Amino acid sequence: MSITNVSRRDFLKTAGIATGGLVVGVALPGSALAEKGIIKESAFNPNAFIHVQENGDTLIYCGRCEMGQGISTALPAAVADEMEADWARVRVKQADGDEEKYGPQATGGSASIRRMYQPMREAGAAAKLMLIAAAAKVWKTSPDNCYAKAHFVINKTNKQQLGFGELASIAANIPVPEKPKLKEKSEFNYIGKALPRHDQDEVVIGKRTYGVDTKLPGMKYAAIVHCPVLGSKLKSLDKSEALKIKGVTDVVEIPRFEVPFGSVGGVAVVANNSWVAQQGIKKLKLEWEEGPNKVYNTKAYKQQLVKNVEKAAEKVAERGDLDNALKQAEQRFSATYTGGHLCHAPMEPNASVVWVQKDSCEVWASTQSPKDIQEVLAQYLKRKPEDIIVHVAMAGGAFGRKFKCDYVHEAAVISEKVGAPIQLIWTREEDMRTGYYHSVSAQHIEASMDKQGNVTGWLHRAAFPSISSLFNPSLDRAPAGSLDEITYHPFGVENFRAETGEAKAHTRIGWYRAVYAIFYGFAFGTFADELAHKAGIDPLTFINRIFDNNKDEKQQETIARSKAVLALAAEKSGWHKRDNLPKGQGIGLAVHYSFRSYVAMAVHVEVDGDDIKVLNVDCAIDCGQVLNTDGATAQMEGAVVMGMSLALSTEISFRDGAVVNSNFHDYPVMRINDMPNVRVHIAESDESPTGLGEPGVAPFAPALSNAIFAASGKRYRDLPIKPLSV
Amino acid sequence: MKQSIIINGKTHAIDVDGDMPLLWFLRDQLAFTGTKFGCGSGLCGACTVHVDGMATRSCITPVASLAGKSITTIEGLSEQGDHPLQKAWLNNKVPQCGYCQAGQIMNAASFLATNAAPTEEEIDIAMQGNICRCGTYQRIKKAINEAAEELSKEA
Repeated sequence: MSITNVSRRDFLKTAGIATGGLVVGVALPGSALAEKGIIKESAFNPNAFIHVQENGDTLIYCGRCEMGQGISTALPAAVADEMEADWARVRVKQADGDEEKYGPQATGGSASIRRMYQPMREAGAAAKLMLIAAAAKVWKTSPDNCYAKAHFVINKTNKQQLGFGELASIAANIPVPEKPKLKEKSEFNYIGKALPRHDQDEVVIGKRTYGVDTKLPGMKYAAIVHCPVLGSKLKSLDKSEALKIKGVTDVVEIPRFEVPFGSVGGVAVVANNSWVAQQGIKKLKLEWEEGPNKVYNTKAYKQQLVKNVEKAAEKVAERGDLDNALKQAEQRFSATYTGGHLCHAPMEPNASVVWVQKDSCEVWASTQSPKDIQEVLAQYLKRKPEDIIVHVAMAGGAFGRKFKCDYVHEAAVISEKVGAPIQLIWTREEDMRTGYYHSVSAQHIEASMDKQGNVTGWLHRAAFPSISSLFNPSLDRAPAGSLDEITYHPFGVENFRAETGEAKAHTRIGWYRAVYAIFYGFAFGTFADELAHKAGIDPLTFINRIFDNNKDEKQQETIARSKAVLALAAEKSGWHKRDNLPKGQGIGLAVHYSFRSYVAMAVHVEVDGDDIKVLNVDCAIDCGQVLNTDGATAQMEGAVVMGMSLALSTEISFRDGAVVNSNFHDYPVMRINDMPNVRVHIAESDESPTGLGEPGVAPFAPALSNAIFAASGKRYRDLPIKPLSV
Repeated sequence: MKQSIIINGKTHAIDVDGDMPLLWFLRDQLAFTGTKFGCGSGLCGACTVHVDGMATRSCITPVASLAGKSITTIEGLSEQGDHPLQKAWLNNKVPQCGYCQAGQIMNAASFLATNAAPTEEEIDIAMQGNICRCGTYQRIKKAINEAAEELSKEA
């Protein structure tokens, strides 16, 4: 990693960063681009900028994308802390898409804090030392005689003080200190405290803008309808009625662009506002040719997945002698778990503005990956990726959907055809029917236990169309790597085998918040509880025992931290006093380690017939040093809501290759009246920080299933538990 | 004479097809982008505004049906952004992505105007039509309770 004084560098202008004052850039070590030989390691490629302006206002440019997960608050606050800046004087700016300048910007996998925490702090610490050195120069004293506090540098001898703004331009001429000393935990002002989002004041007055809010002079509005079945082609199009509508200017055919993040193909209507464009879509007469995915019916497909995991499948990992363990078993037990497709349905539907001109292409988009936009558009327009300018907008939710830029590609196609900046906003119906869905899945687990209830063997088969199918459509099952969470699960079982069952993809599969941890967490967490009951052992004791049976040195930390969060969730939920609960109530536990963070949940339910009411959820998390305790808490509250939606009610269904759902009436995401009381407990930790966007979702569904069983004796193994028949 | 509509106290001529929902009139014609598009079918509440003080889903309300009526959007809820709900929203750090929050606040403001001391159940019923995918419901409830208390002090 390197920190550089870039106050005088010309490229700041091209990066859209105003000059004047002190600008410090941070570059991460071993960037992916350097490893690929795309840039020279010696070249200066800062991943973030800190800009102390002459008026003292401090701007921090963050290359990672913000979609509500709070990264644009947590990381800059860490910088401000080390700088001794006043958080109220710090403004956070979203950087444009430029991986050469900002390093990897693709935002997913809960990686931002993990990767950026240390370098951002060091940059802050360096800036502070430069401001102190500047003050020392003014006062003709030694830097040791000065210290920084709350946006000022103070002279220890005579108590004089100079503001950061006054010092900024002087500091710009000071060399960057090497290896600046970082603060001790006890000295933190902001790290580990509860901070509000940096932009919440704008949110509550309607001034916070998102990708969908972009307005450009001369901009035209577009709406789109997509081919209903993946791979089907447009057979006929009658656009005459659409073109008769006042305000409709063009109808543009968009052929499928066969790259993973390209359009599936559709027809767009261009008009002088979004509503007219949407009316135009309704007037199109379209016929689609049937493609090979016409055969896709999720009900039948799921039944087939179950068959595929209830028979021998393709082995991907093995330890010990499973067949012998199953043969010698004192007790054997097996169960099959399933889950449906999910669509992300962020509140802001896919939207972007693209302006393709002869010698330029500019994009304004809510996105999780500006680089993918650059690559897809470059490929489509046959230009260089660096010639595609991407302005990253705040996303109104994303959850993985806005990693894929098919909607931006479509706006580019339209803009190129009509020669104007185009705002394409998908309707909610198109958002639900043209997704990159979370995989439908089936898993079958068979375990053997000895007399004492120790698990001696574990056979785990999974079948699901994988995200890899997006990149390699010929795959007929999930590759071994997609089963890593099974293979390396921290449960200690001597004799083990993982197998992958046939599951060809018939739609686009994509990352969804928590990704495969959704169904792996469900199967592991529920099956462990089932085994505990089978063995007649308290589930908490039983889970701890499976962990303890893991003797792998490399997994001891994972086990210790998993057990600790599980114990914390259990204790806070009243697990140990659960015998006193009224009839019809129960508590279920689950713990899941994913994305390098540890999350356990205790779900407390009341069950009356088919009526399931979630009363309380105690979440215990260990993500190392927490940056913003309020942000961490919010992520867990959100994870419970998303977990509850998918555990209880949401599922995308396909019939004859097309999605049946269309809007929130038949994709019933959770609403406020079902909100349980969520309590978040953060484990005290000095470990390096890890992220929390993804890992909270996984433990909810198994903890719920276990709670329902505790309350009613009824076991649910299929998600969603209460599907709406559509 | 053309029909007109009052938005945040200012009169605007309805110079579009009268079937155009208010949402798009606000967003595309007047560039009031604080009111959000979420579903287009009155199912999610992101587009909630006030029509003569009553919470209304602007995505399914034709602009012509509002001729002569007074509309308040999130931008016009308070002069200084200091409506008790806005303050309570900040105090409880409600927003995550923030996209649905304008609709949530507008819906809650109309509700509290008719029920200044709501029960938890009444809040649930009143706010059921507003979806938040980030999952800020717990904080929304707390903020509404807090604002209700504040309002009762003012009254």
